Amino acid sequence: MSTATVSLFAALLALLCLAGSIVVAVLALMRRSRPESAAAALFEDLGPLALWFAWVVSLATTLGSLYFSDVAGFLPCKLCWYQRIAMYPLSVLLLIAAVRRDRSVWVYVVPQATIGALIAAYHTQLQAFPDQSSSFCTLAAPCTERYVWEFGFVSLPFMALVAFVFIIAMVLVARSSGALSPQPVHSGQQVGVS
Amino acid sequence: MTGAKRVVSPPAKGPTRSMWIVGAVVLVVGIALVAAIAVSSSNKAGSGGTPKGSAGTVVANGSHESAPVTVSGAALPEFNLSASTTDAAVGQTAPTLTGVNFAGEPITIGNDGKPKVIMFLAHWCPHCQAEVPRIQNWLDEHGLPSDVSLYAMPTSTNASRPNYPPSAWLVGKNWTVPVLVDSEQSDAATAYGLTSFPYFVVIGADGKVVERTSGELSMTDFAKLIDSARTGHPQ
Repeated sequence: MSTATVSLFAALLALLCLAGSIVVAVLALMRRSRPESAAAALFEDLGPLALWFAWVVSLATTLGSLYFSDVAGFLPCKLCWYQRIAMYPLSVLLLIAAVRRDRSVWVYVVPQATIGALIAAYHTQLQAFPDQSSSFCTLAAPCTERYVWEFGFVSLPFMALVAFVFIIAMVLVARSSGALSPQPVHSGQQVGVS
Repeated sequence: MTGAKRVVSPPAKGPTRSMWIVGAVVLVVGIALVAAIAVSSSNKAGSGGTPKGSAGTVVANGSHESAPVTVSGAALPEFNLSASTTDAAVGQTAPTLTGVNFAGEPITIGNDGKPKVIMFLAHWCPHCQAEVPRIQNWLDEHGLPSDVSLYAMPTSTNASRPNYPPSAWLVGKNWTVPVLVDSEQSDAATAYGLTSFPYFVVIGADGKVVERTSGELSMTDFAKLIDSARTGHPQ
């Protein structure tokens, strides 16, 4: 499979992640306003799968980033490395959490993924609007280099950004689904199995 | 943590609906994969594919804007702008570069017993854009030195950045210095420890690095680089 194919596939997966995140957010809102609705039921059905989805996405992102650096030969810049540091451990952490059905894993995942998402967001806008000076850019590993640029906006940091957002959405789904209260914001102890 | 006592919740209903969700996700991902393969293979047939992969970039007029470069020999350490440190690359044998020029003709920059100055240029770098006509004017005035080879290496070439393609830029400036285009991954620039543009590497007759410098040069400094190459000692 050529690099162009993998880039396009990765970009499509990123769009799926984005769509998934939006759907989950909408379902969560509908569930909150109408706990008996079909949307709420669908949200509940997602619950047991959410950590697995989060893990699959973290694994795909990890392997994808390794493909682009080690097979396609793209040079990771400093910002790429920071995003990798935030993403790679999740591929192990989320697997363990999924196997153990540890719905409280969001406590660990959300802060780390948020940091990753913030760096990815900065990097995404930097690639979208490269004519700005950034101290993160060295010319040997330029962080404005668009190694992947699909559909006019999907770059590698964009993929990282939506992956982080999707993972955050999924660990929050795992956290709140199956809760007795439709507003589980303050119901702290949620460790356990379904 | 409660033990792993699996309560099989409302018989059959839950698991089946979960399976539907998983099935739908797998299906959509499969469609994405098929679409990616289909689209990229049809792109290959036509033109206008995004410049990716290792084959290099050839623009519509047939000019080679980037092409694979073979690097042999140990890479030079990264160039450090700080003047307080001595350049560790000095005295090290420069790697040999083999590739093509804009026209696709093979060109090698190697230890041919002749001193040389290699200039690394990026089409989008404002300092390079300022430096190129200045160097060309100087060369028009003084002529290409006969005892020192000059080479220009367009690197970090990127179709999405300003002043693309580099061939049109350099031809527009009546550039006379032989060109070796870098690869899309800037292999040659990396092997030469490039950290900023424009970047000059002076190599003595023995094939060893004499000095490296970066930034816009005055023509006095440029002439000094040629002298450095000629004498084998930084001037």
